[in-house]
Amino acid sequence: MQQLNPIDITPEILFNQRRSFLKLGAASIIASSTLMELMAKENLPLPNLTFKKDPNRDHLKLNTFKQITSYNNFYEFTTSKRGVKALAKDMNTEAWTITIDGLVEKPLTLDVEELMKKYALEERIYRFRCVEGWAMVVPWIGFELQKLIQDVKPLKSAKYVQFWTKYDEEMFPDQRRGIFATLTYPYTEGLRMDEALNPLTLLAVGLYGKTLENQNGAPIRLVVPWKYGFKSIKSIDKISFIEKQPLNTWQKENPKEFGFYANVNPEVDHPRWSQKTERVLGKFVKQRTLLFNGYEKEVGDMYREMDLRKEI
Amino acid sequence: MIRGLIFLLLLIPFIYLVLELFIFQRAIDPIKYIYTVTGATAITLLFFTTTLSLWFKKLIKYRRMIGLFGFFYAFLHMCNFFILDMNADLLFAFKETIDKPFIYLGMISFLLLFFMAATSTKKHFRKYRKYHKVLYIVLILTTIHFVMAQKSLSVSQYGYLSIMFVIAFYKIKNILVTKRT
Repeated sequence: MQQLNPIDITPEILFNQRRSFLKLGAASIIASSTLMELMAKENLPLPNLTFKKDPNRDHLKLNTFKQITSYNNFYEFTTSKRGVKALAKDMNTEAWTITIDGLVEKPLTLDVEELMKKYALEERIYRFRCVEGWAMVVPWIGFELQKLIQDVKPLKSAKYVQFWTKYDEEMFPDQRRGIFATLTYPYTEGLRMDEALNPLTLLAVGLYGKTLENQNGAPIRLVVPWKYGFKSIKSIDKISFIEKQPLNTWQKENPKEFGFYANVNPEVDHPRWSQKTERVLGKFVKQRTLLFNGYEKEVGDMYREMDLRKEI
Repeated sequence: MIRGLIFLLLLIPFIYLVLELFIFQRAIDPIKYIYTVTGATAITLLFFTTTLSLWFKKLIKYRRMIGLFGFFYAFLHMCNFFILDMNADLLFAFKETIDKPFIYLGMISFLLLFFMAATSTKKHFRKYRKYHKVLYIVLILTTIHFVMAQKSLSVSQYGYLSIMFVIAFYKIKNILVTKRT
């Protein structure tokens, strides 16, 4: 057997240092790779908006950016939820203005860019429930509609607010189809004045820190979290203050199945889809639907006098 | 050989469904996705079996297999309803079925298909053959079921409906011609 030369033996102190160095190396690789993996999984866009963060007190678990931007109802493009994203790519939202008129002291037409500068933006993490039975949680970014309402000074006679999505056959393929179109355009929605003034009612311009994707209703949309998704009208072109309750698109389309209020209510079933439960996007298991989509504390008072079984 | 090939062909939607759900995980709303894929496949296959006599006469000897595959997809569709959509709650599923015309039309269709599948063995088929004409009822019911499931109809769905009407027209024409001769 060969005799070991003392000079070849690694001193104990060095031996231990080498081990801890290796451990450190391994740990750093794991840490960075998990970080990378997490980022890849989230696949978040680069934020381009400045806003006040929502503390998310209800600890809602957010849907991913990909889910929110790849599964959309936007009938002006197509009825296919997966198809909207690709078709919406060509939509042009540059220099988009919105007109505010009707029973107001100060009617105005504003560039959306100006609007975003005028009002401080904040994040609102809201549940979003579609009448078809699917749901998600979205970190919207926008400002309260009431701020805009206060600035245009509605007259006493203004009882309702009506909204219109843009009508532009160049931009929206389904609007070109004439009698074969899925819906009558322009798409329109309405809110009672107190609903419009509710602090939960948001004009959203972004989500996940970034300006809205076209398929989500760029450049500006309404978000009314206690009502079914179709009330939250996309790509707003015009807002009018009026005296009489307007007829919204889906109510016009099928008055038996869709009402003006469209409050999320697990006790009132849609003739075809049960409203008791909901499928959160990405999940195999369903969960129970909450009255007013979980916002009863904030909005319940507005409907105390109403029979919600009749006034759907 | 041909039988095996057709078998594999008919299995493709199922393989595709499993891949999309569990491997690629691209289905954003899985329950809805299962409904769409299994429903569309079932209705297409069942429809296809009735039209073989019109243009694919050579395939008639595989009609039973194609029909059974139609039942298989309808079965997956029903399992999706009961297990995932209704959380396997028998009472709730029953209530929903009674409550919503669109669901009970689907359920009636499924029961009729189940009857046909159960009586499709050589021995039974001889006896029950004439009752297998209820497939036409199933096709009508499932078409209504499918239309009612949509919030509103798209161009492609109108396309599907017009194909159905054209085929129905030729079927009826055929029946009238054979009756006269």
